[in-house]
Amino acid sequence: MTWEILAVFMGSSLRLAVPILLGGIGELVSERAGVLNMSVEGMMLAGAFAGALGAWATGSPELGLLCAILAVLPVSLLQAWLSNSLRANQIVTGLGINILVLGATTLAYREIFGARSREAIPGFDKWSPPLLGDLPVFGEALFTQVWLVYLALALVLATGFVLRHTSLGIAIKAAGEDPRAVDKSGLSVLAIRYGVVLFCGFTASLAGAFLSIGDIHTFTEGMTNGVGYLAIAAVIFGNWKLGRAVFACLLFGGATALQFQLPALGLQVPTALLIMLPYLLAFLAVAGLVGRQTAPAVLTVPYRRG
Amino acid sequence: MSARSERPPATAATVLRLLPPSLLLPLLAVLAAFAIGCLLVLAMGVAPTKAIAAFADGAFGSAYAISVSLNRAVVFALVGLGFVLANRANLTNVGGEGQIAVGGIAATALALQDGIAGLGLGLAFILPMLGAVLAGAFWGGIAGVLKVRAGTNEVISTLLLSFIAIWLVYWCVQSEDLLRQSMTTSATLPESAEIAEAAQLPLLTGDYAAPVTIGLPIAVVLAGLIAVLLGRSRFGFNLRAVGLNPVAAARAGIAQRRTVVLALTIAGAFGGLAGAMMLLGEQWSLKAGFSSGYGFDGLVVGLLARGSVPGVIAGALLFGFLRSGGISMEMVAAVPTALVMVIQGLIVLAVAGAAFWLDRREAAR
Repeated sequence: MTWEILAVFMGSSLRLAVPILLGGIGELVSERAGVLNMSVEGMMLAGAFAGALGAWATGSPELGLLCAILAVLPVSLLQAWLSNSLRANQIVTGLGINILVLGATTLAYREIFGARSREAIPGFDKWSPPLLGDLPVFGEALFTQVWLVYLALALVLATGFVLRHTSLGIAIKAAGEDPRAVDKSGLSVLAIRYGVVLFCGFTASLAGAFLSIGDIHTFTEGMTNGVGYLAIAAVIFGNWKLGRAVFACLLFGGATALQFQLPALGLQVPTALLIMLPYLLAFLAVAGLVGRQTAPAVLTVPYRRG
Repeated sequence: MSARSERPPATAATVLRLLPPSLLLPLLAVLAAFAIGCLLVLAMGVAPTKAIAAFADGAFGSAYAISVSLNRAVVFALVGLGFVLANRANLTNVGGEGQIAVGGIAATALALQDGIAGLGLGLAFILPMLGAVLAGAFWGGIAGVLKVRAGTNEVISTLLLSFIAIWLVYWCVQSEDLLRQSMTTSATLPESAEIAEAAQLPLLTGDYAAPVTIGLPIAVVLAGLIAVLLGRSRFGFNLRAVGLNPVAAARAGIAQRRTVVLALTIAGAFGGLAGAMMLLGEQWSLKAGFSSGYGFDGLVVGLLARGSVPGVIAGALLFGFLRSGGISMEMVAAVPTALVMVIQGLIVLAVAGAAFWLDRREAAR
């Protein structure tokens, strides 16, 4: 009995952590290169909407996912252009994009779906890897997931490899520490920073699509509801290191899952505290109470040549 | 002399050319965003005239509408003023939302205390207001202390503090041990008891048909104070010095760390006051998410003002009327308020992007 509860809890923690994780991977790479991408929330929402719309229109969740990726592209380009080429304040452009996307998707949802809001949207089926899926209890509750979950885990490994072992990774990290040195070595800081924002848009679109056509097979207005900000908090709590950030994402997913599990277990913990917990932990981390925090040196500072 | 008399009559185009670019660009951004909004209304198959009429009616169609818009503008202006002050020291206070939230909690808690509503001389609303100011100042001050003690980036700390405060409000109204009204039936809403009339902000007109509160004159006076403080005081000079070059400022004998803490504390105090205005002025009971977006809108107002106090006032009025008009548009013309969000987002992005050309012009001069 208790094993079952544990398995269900771990499964729902993972499921809730995946959108934070997908958004967080892109956000981490982007912040390591010096761009605090607040618009990750808006990018996710755009992805969630385009994914649902595409899947509904074509009847295929795969095409829906493609729509999500393509639809977030202009959003990422806008963020990249404003914050890198026009050197606009990254916080403002992020908030502006989030407001714009929330307004635009709500408007479009009401126009397109309107009365049809209860219509089923095709989504991804669950799948389990051969051996793990056959495990008793855990196979069903923990490992049977939409394949995007496994893609997220693969993306973590790939990102870790690129950041640590390739010249591209070194260039990305250097763009966030000493962009002038990157420039002097003949690489374009602008190109790197455009690249990381586009990458963040890509992972955020996967996160959004996971929310709408992966997890619950529908779209609701403003459905990201702060998941993007949680991704940012996870990166901060993770001290801008991939491993710790992934741990933070899983922790935040677990805290969210507890909201639903604790009442079932008859435990009285204020829901507000559980929802607040990720932000509180991230705050304690930046306050220096959980080890030393070292943000990228030029985070939020646009690069100016010459 | 004769050339002067032959000058073409002042058309809209020449008027636009006479405006300084720092005014012209935001103006154009607003106009362009509105034009796009009209196109969207057309695309939705609603007659633009109907939507615009509903918008205008809700924003400034009646004394009531104008009052509500002005009360909203006061909240935006207060947050914006605090932002501009801290920004003079090159600090970015993203925490307006949280500072409003803790201000709201403090104001409600004090206003609901036994005995407070019975106090004379206006103390019934002044004490809750001061409590809110202190709470906001504390919330902003934390970020300041962390900045000078642990080197924590204030953007990150104020952002996180905002989320924490938003959920604190939720906690307060969910728990009867805190501020939730006593549960009489299972249908009792998760919100605080209503603030007694004596503790509500007095109305300027004394008439609920035009409920402008005394928040408006308070905000105007504070705007004047901030303008003087920034432009003519020693403290304003210190802020600027710290913002331009903290090391040089410290060498010149300016208490750099104290200035940073003070700047964020004052910014927080303004946010807290804004929260008090919302609770004591129009909402009268604490609800989860009561601050929804006000702090972030106020932050945007402060940013768009580019450091100028008149700019804050203009932006606050624009956003105040935009929000009111949008709500009416949804109710009357069935155009979702989401349209206003689109317009607002476009304005923010256009003005933020336009700063590039403005900065270049200023640098060239």
